[in-house]
Amino acid sequence: MKIAFINGSPKVKNSTSEYILKTLKPLLPKEYELIEYHFRTSHLSNHDMEQMAECNVLVFAFPLYVDGIPSHLIHCLYELEMFFNTKSEKKIVVYSLVNCGFYEGHQNVIALEIMKNWCVKAKLNWGQGLGIGGGGMLPMLAGVPEGQGPKKNLSMALKTIAGSISAAATADNIFVSPNFPRFAYKLGAEMGWRQQGKANGLKPKDLFMQR
Amino acid sequence: MKLLIHDLDEEKCKELFPSTIDNMTILSDNGSMHHCIGCFGCWIKTPGACVIRDSYGDLGECLSKCDEVMIISKCFYGGYSPFIKNVVDRCNPYMHPYFEIRNREMHHRRRYNNHFDLKVWFYGENITEQEKQTAEKLIQANAINKDCSVSKVTFLQDIAEIKGYLMDGGVFK
Repeated sequence: MKIAFINGSPKVKNSTSEYILKTLKPLLPKEYELIEYHFRTSHLSNHDMEQMAECNVLVFAFPLYVDGIPSHLIHCLYELEMFFNTKSEKKIVVYSLVNCGFYEGHQNVIALEIMKNWCVKAKLNWGQGLGIGGGGMLPMLAGVPEGQGPKKNLSMALKTIAGSISAAATADNIFVSPNFPRFAYKLGAEMGWRQQGKANGLKPKDLFMQR
Repeated sequence: MKLLIHDLDEEKCKELFPSTIDNMTILSDNGSMHHCIGCFGCWIKTPGACVIRDSYGDLGECLSKCDEVMIISKCFYGGYSPFIKNVVDRCNPYMHPYFEIRNREMHHRRRYNNHFDLKVWFYGENITEQEKQTAEKLIQANAINKDCSVSKVTFLQDIAEIKGYLMDGGVFK
């Protein structure tokens, strides 16, 4: 089986999407061929689209942007739709892993629906979606063993979706929130914003600036 | 202020909106817009302003002066077109990084006190029923996110139909 891993984050490196794909990778059978892409701009090369058309499975991982898909990725999906519609006899199954900075994984539900609608227009088969809450925290938990602490729910969900991908099977979407109280997540995130502001020479009150 | 954000080309725009009322700002695609890179600079470096200083760098401030926001977008898979989504994404500085609970979910708190009403027209020849359902949910979710209200979501097969809607609504002369 040939699988395309598509990182849809506009960030050059250290994105949560990169982390999620990296965590998913060892859960798939080693004999499967894996091709990795990073869609950071709005346009795709013909070479990449030709390669993707030969895959059995496309796995997208991207951040939630205002309840939906980042704008550059929508344009990439449109280019892929146009390209795939020139091809016949495709049996490609699509999986989507969407993460958001909010605590609740179910806030990714509309982005997953948009991906499923795209599959219909591009004449591809929808496999399964995973909506991940608390995404901003994940790269900071790289040292925490998989399946433990705040990552317990996510690790289980990734194992489940890895099983679906391995069989190119269709299954219901999964939504996960961190194994961590919401109030603590909120406090931690807000402390993080203040620290990042401070690193840029800002005081906490500066974060409230109005233009 | 009323803000109209659209993804129509210049010719179509002139044809559909020959003259505007006062107190109306129109935001169009001038082809130079960069996409949001998720750096959060608009919260932690230059709070309230995007660090990308193209002609769309002050959308947060622009939104803070609005009492009505109208969006005309081609429907892409039950969501906005790439340009409109880019505008929506680059409005991030309108919000504050801190969180609050709205609709029993975590959302970003307000930076400004203005309240605006959102009207959205999606156009396209082949919008499916499923895409319409998704788009309705998207706009409701956007309203919770931006802490604004939705007064209308309309689907048009032909963009020419928009003229009647906007003239009836007193948006154009």
